[in-house]
Amino acid sequence: MKYMVMMNTMKASEGVPVWPKEDLQAHIAFMMGLNKELHERGELVSAEGLSFPNQAKLVRAGKDGRPITDGVFPESKEFLAGFWIIDVDSPERAYAIAARISAAPGAGGTPLNMPIELRPIMSGPPPEMV
Amino acid sequence: MKYILLMSGTTAGVEAYHAWSKQDIEAHMAVLLGINKDLTASGEFVATQGLADPGEARVVRGEKNGEPVTDGVFPESKEFLLGYWIVDVASTERAYAIAGQISAAPGPGGKPTNMPIEVRQFATYESKSH
Repeated sequence: MKYMVMMNTMKASEGVPVWPKEDLQAHIAFMMGLNKELHERGELVSAEGLSFPNQAKLVRAGKDGRPITDGVFPESKEFLAGFWIIDVDSPERAYAIAARISAAPGAGGTPLNMPIELRPIMSGPPPEMV
Repeated sequence: MKYILLMSGTTAGVEAYHAWSKQDIEAHMAVLLGINKDLTASGEFVATQGLADPGEARVVRGEKNGEPVTDGVFPESKEFLLGYWIVDVASTERAYAIAGQISAAPGPGGKPTNMPIEVRQFATYESKSH
């Protein structure tokens, strides 16, 4: 079963974390190690980090179908910082991977314990809709 | 350059969608499938997925011992990712144009949904490490 594992960030103004370089390196090393392990187990489908929220745009179609872009978001908006697509045998395994990501080291090496959103991926639209 | 186009909505929005007529849902899906086909033909298509209903979503945190703690209770106002497209395009404007097409997919009675589509560029290694 496939899951999308999402790491969200709250602030539109948030940029590169203002952590010391070593802390940032330890964080990235942790993530790269985890990705390597998931890949070796055959559970990693993809993993991507997104550029910072200040580059995000909301797009709507105008009357003539042309895109209208907006970069102003409410303060409370959550932004996707990055995601993993994993293919695992059970929901419990997906929870365990999300917990590993949640516990990635932050400033001073303390686990971030950030909330990680987990969503099952549909195999496709219901056949009657295609 | 790679972008992820995020379609989000609330639980109330998902419930409203389930109440659309069969023809409206079919017309909506036909346009989205057509967009996927066009993107494949132009070589811009990377991936697309729909996510299962928000009722299946879980937020996971790592506890002190690293064990996953799951939570499935979300505020009414929370926006959930419904689905995404990953595209590989020559320009930002092209990413916005595709998002505009998705936004213009028909809703009830064939009227464009004009749903806001969030456009996010993939981070490069450089932007992650400075």
